[in-house]
Amino acid sequence: MLQKSQQQNPASLLQDESLWYKDAVIYQLHVRTFCDSNGDGIGDFRGLTNKLDYLQELGINAIWLLPFYPSPLRDDGYDIADYTSVHASYGSLQDFKDFLTAAHNRRIRVITEMVVNHTSDQHPWFQEARSSRENSKRDWYVWSDTDTRYQGVRINFVDTEMSNWAWDTISKSYYWHRFFSHQPDLNYDNPAVREAMWEVMKFWLDIGVDGFRLDAVPYLIERDGTSCENLPETHEIIKEFRRRLDLAYPGKMLLAEANQRPAEVRSYFGAGDEFHMAFHFPLMPRMFMAVKLEDRKPIIEILEQTPQIPDTCQWCIFLRNHDELTLEMVTDVERDYMYDEYAVDKAMRINLGIRRRLAPMMENDRRRVELLTGLLLSMPGTPIIYYGDEIGMGDNIYLGDRNGVRTPMQWNGGWNAGFSSADPERLYSPVISNAVYGYQAINVDSQRRSAHSLLSWTKSVIQTRNAFRVFSRGSIEFLSPTNHRVLAYVRRLGDEKVLVVNNLSSSAQAVELNLQAYKRHIPIEMFGRNLFPRIGDLPYLLTLGPYQFYWFRLRKI
Amino acid sequence: MAEEILLQDDFLRQLMSVGEVDLLVAIPSYNHAATINETLQAIEESLHQNFVRERAVILNVDGGSSDATRQMFLDTSERRNAGLKSLTSLRTIHRISCEYDRSPSQGMALRSVVAAADLLRARSCAVVSPGTASLTPSWVANLLRPVYREQFDFVAPLYARSRFQGLLARDLLYPMSRAIFGRSIREVYSDEWGFCGRLASQCLEQEVWHEEAVRARPGAWMAITAMCRDFKCCQYFLGPKTAAVPGTSADIVEAIRQTVGNLFWCMEANQAQWLNRTGSQAVPTFGPDHELSADGIPGAQEKIFDLFRSGVNELHPILASILAEDTHAQVKAIALLDPGKFRFSIELWVRTLYEFAASYHRAALNRDHLVQALVPLYRGRLYSFLLEHAASSAEAMEVESEILCQEFERQKPYLVARWNSKSEVKP
Amino acid sequence: MKEMIIHGLGQAYENLVRMFADFLPRLVVMLVIVVVGLLVAYVLKTVLRTVLHVTKLDRLSEEAGASRFLRMAALPSMTELLSRSLFWVTWSGFILIGISILGVAGLQEQISRLFLLLPAIFVAILVLFLGLVTANFLSRAALLAAVNAGYPSPKLLSWSIRFVIWALAISMALEQVGVARQTVIAAFSIVFGAFMLGLAIAFGLGGRELARDFLERNLGDKKTKKHEEPQPL
Repeated sequence: MLQKSQQQNPASLLQDESLWYKDAVIYQLHVRTFCDSNGDGIGDFRGLTNKLDYLQELGINAIWLLPFYPSPLRDDGYDIADYTSVHASYGSLQDFKDFLTAAHNRRIRVITEMVVNHTSDQHPWFQEARSSRENSKRDWYVWSDTDTRYQGVRINFVDTEMSNWAWDTISKSYYWHRFFSHQPDLNYDNPAVREAMWEVMKFWLDIGVDGFRLDAVPYLIERDGTSCENLPETHEIIKEFRRRLDLAYPGKMLLAEANQRPAEVRSYFGAGDEFHMAFHFPLMPRMFMAVKLEDRKPIIEILEQTPQIPDTCQWCIFLRNHDELTLEMVTDVERDYMYDEYAVDKAMRINLGIRRRLAPMMENDRRRVELLTGLLLSMPGTPIIYYGDEIGMGDNIYLGDRNGVRTPMQWNGGWNAGFSSADPERLYSPVISNAVYGYQAINVDSQRRSAHSLLSWTKSVIQTRNAFRVFSRGSIEFLSPTNHRVLAYVRRLGDEKVLVVNNLSSSAQAVELNLQAYKRHIPIEMFGRNLFPRIGDLPYLLTLGPYQFYWFRLRKI
Repeated sequence: MAEEILLQDDFLRQLMSVGEVDLLVAIPSYNHAATINETLQAIEESLHQNFVRERAVILNVDGGSSDATRQMFLDTSERRNAGLKSLTSLRTIHRISCEYDRSPSQGMALRSVVAAADLLRARSCAVVSPGTASLTPSWVANLLRPVYREQFDFVAPLYARSRFQGLLARDLLYPMSRAIFGRSIREVYSDEWGFCGRLASQCLEQEVWHEEAVRARPGAWMAITAMCRDFKCCQYFLGPKTAAVPGTSADIVEAIRQTVGNLFWCMEANQAQWLNRTGSQAVPTFGPDHELSADGIPGAQEKIFDLFRSGVNELHPILASILAEDTHAQVKAIALLDPGKFRFSIELWVRTLYEFAASYHRAALNRDHLVQALVPLYRGRLYSFLLEHAASSAEAMEVESEILCQEFERQKPYLVARWNSKSEVKP
Repeated sequence: MKEMIIHGLGQAYENLVRMFADFLPRLVVMLVIVVVGLLVAYVLKTVLRTVLHVTKLDRLSEEAGASRFLRMAALPSMTELLSRSLFWVTWSGFILIGISILGVAGLQEQISRLFLLLPAIFVAILVLFLGLVTANFLSRAALLAAVNAGYPSPKLLSWSIRFVIWALAISMALEQVGVARQTVIAAFSIVFGAFMLGLAIAFGLGGRELARDFLERNLGDKKTKKHEEPQPL
């Protein structure tokens, strides 16, 4: 229960923590999927507000909301038709404001989507732009009389799009789109576009959102003879946004969605004057690969290639999200391996990725789910938990596009899994109902009752992580035991040291760790708080069960 | 009683770290600092290209090198990988090294290898020599693949030979082992071969590591074990074989001591298996079609004949205690022939060898001396061969080789009779 | 005179009978001892043979390689050899004890001396045996090596080695039993020294080519080695 003074001024509470995003544990959800309050079969902000206690109990301290703007919903809301409103299905702008206040009251920050690269073709801007070549907003989009400009640029949605140019029958010319053809790219060479986008951001910042995830930022600018990705002009635009943000809204955060190699993503941090955070896309598939291979090599290699970033910046790490598990940033050999191991059924594959949730990919093996979650929460970066993964939700690969991982949240074993009181046929998506992952088996209520459920476990591990800043802000030093099936590293922040040891293998392992640098320290296991033998001169021998991991505080007493 | 041999603790610790593997490639070494880099590179390239998903270990077993061979093996891999594209292999390819003894012994090296294969539950294993300059990544893959993917148990190499290369193997070791053990494996005595984990485990159980015959040619012992215990064998054509340092291969005396000594010892150890076998079975052969190349000039021959003749004369009493009377008489008779008209017939050659084998079995005299006594006779046979085939085509030589094999098979009952006979040859 | 002769003969006859009467019991005792000794020796031989059969000494001996030496020296198996040796040693001991019972003057001393010499004789026999086997082995090894390497006069080399080892073994055996110690040592030194000197001169003067060839083969650069024969493998 919060103190009265805090309730009166929640925003100020949060503002002193200028690097709050480094310490965040972010919960990603789509308002549509979470909870329906008005029985129309679609989740809404009031329903979400009702579930904030659950999220607070879980221990997360930031919510990342997927697009909730008015949209034809042909790309799950990423085709925005109005930037400064809320889709009627999800409630009203006031509902959103109420939700925001309630979240802040619970010390939960809110990050929203800002789809800056493109709009829906239903957006008034595009409607105007296409109406005639002389329209004032014509130049807000990228037009061409031919489809030969920007040759050789890769197509992102290879399963559905044949070209990055689409023919507009109204204005009889081509327009540029890096995603679906109904999502024309904005023309950031036009200052008016930049200004308009800033105004959109301001709108939400004034309401009180704590940050934006900028979608598809690498693609803002196009130039002939280039890949049209990560161009210097793009960075200039970001820098401008950031400068204005810092000036007018200190303490707010920009998160980049740039599915590139770590060295290329590095540029989006600038000198600490661009994005505050960016997703570490290449790490994610390698975590899955490492567990399957039972070999730490993929993780170590990618982290060794990850460049240093400014002190005020942070990587965002995740296991799964609303999109397919992307395999763009791996080699062909690695992609084939991932397909063969995790997506044998071709229905599981889309674009260059796998459209499955965490638990089904782990074959519902609780130990593996825990191992990966433990890795997520102990490696450097801000972790993002995808809604439903905390209870081990399943997926439905037979729903189109990536909708199989966007099914309704399973609250209980009752009507519509407690998601909605509507008729089941009216739900925006069917609830998972098979014998293994169905809502009768996997739901929040039943897991809340058990202290040993996945939900309870996830809560305790988040709580442990939140209690020690070393996880969110500390350095990382990898140990190299000869047993390659064990991934071990030391997180360090000042005098605080935590040793993390992970068994990536399905069989018990023994490992000898060279902890000479921590001689005379006592390892204290962080979940049970039991003492382990003091570190001496000899290599430190540990044995781990299948997929087991340890977090040890190293204390010199 | 043989001394108990235990793996060193350090080696055991390394094996523990590696855990179960699918593939094991072993490099026995002794003072191979100059060539181990290239060997390791070929193996790693092969694993990267052909076995990206498999769990693999490269094992160096060293006989106490004084030139930092082991250090080179362990240190160079990271620097070399800078040349390879990053993130090409999914898994860690382990590199472990052990010193099995303070002095080189191929037998003890192999023991360490089969022990490692057994403990790591390796499915497919290969042994390669750092002394082979012509080793390529495809060699490694060709030795591993038949076991790993085609369920064979033993893979013998096949090399591209010139007409006058490897005559000991072609004129004695191959036809004799084919007739005795019933399998047509050409290169039983080679430095590279592949085998399965099951064969490794069976070899490990045998207490033969102190036997000189096994210590000198353990690969051949393993091949013969595979043949005798009905493991699925095959051959894979690898290409031409060249030594990294020319002129370092064993001379004829040492070669015969090692190979023929090993062959006779294996006959002794496996008599229960081969005595009742008749004929021979072809083994599947993979790789491109090949034949003897036409190049290759026969070496100076006069000296060979002189050595043969003087050997027959000087070793008269020794040969008399080994050979049957009429065989000895025939050998003495051909030693008197004019060099230009000399001929050591196939029939006499086979009979001679079989009588040597039977005398070895009876331990008519010290076995090593017995094998050495064969050297002059081999020289005679070699001289005869060179004389006969100086102008022969590769095809004709292949035909002749097959005739020799059949003669060995035809006279096998004679060998069996002499082998089982308890009477000794009267000098 | 006649009575003196008859008296003397009678006395002598009486003495003889008395001596014989004195000697006969001892003879009988000796024979009994010898016969008992024979039985005891036979029993011991049988027991030892049985024990050695049970402990499989013959197989151990085969594995250790000793049986091969016995065969080369035309000796029976190890079990048989030890059993028979025990038989003869035991019976010899009883025979010697029996002889000592006879009380023949001077014989006892000789018998004691013989007993003292027995260990030395045994060692001498062993030395000769080992010398024989070693000479056989090394001379044959040298012969084979020389023949296969193409060195001239391999038989001479082989015979020389055999001679040297025989000479050494015989000298050691004779020295062991103490026969003409000084003479044997001196003779061996002279003969051995002369032999070695002769070899050195012969080698130095006549073996220059051979020496060079040997050194080139074993110490020179292997790449420059001439291949007279095709590579065997």
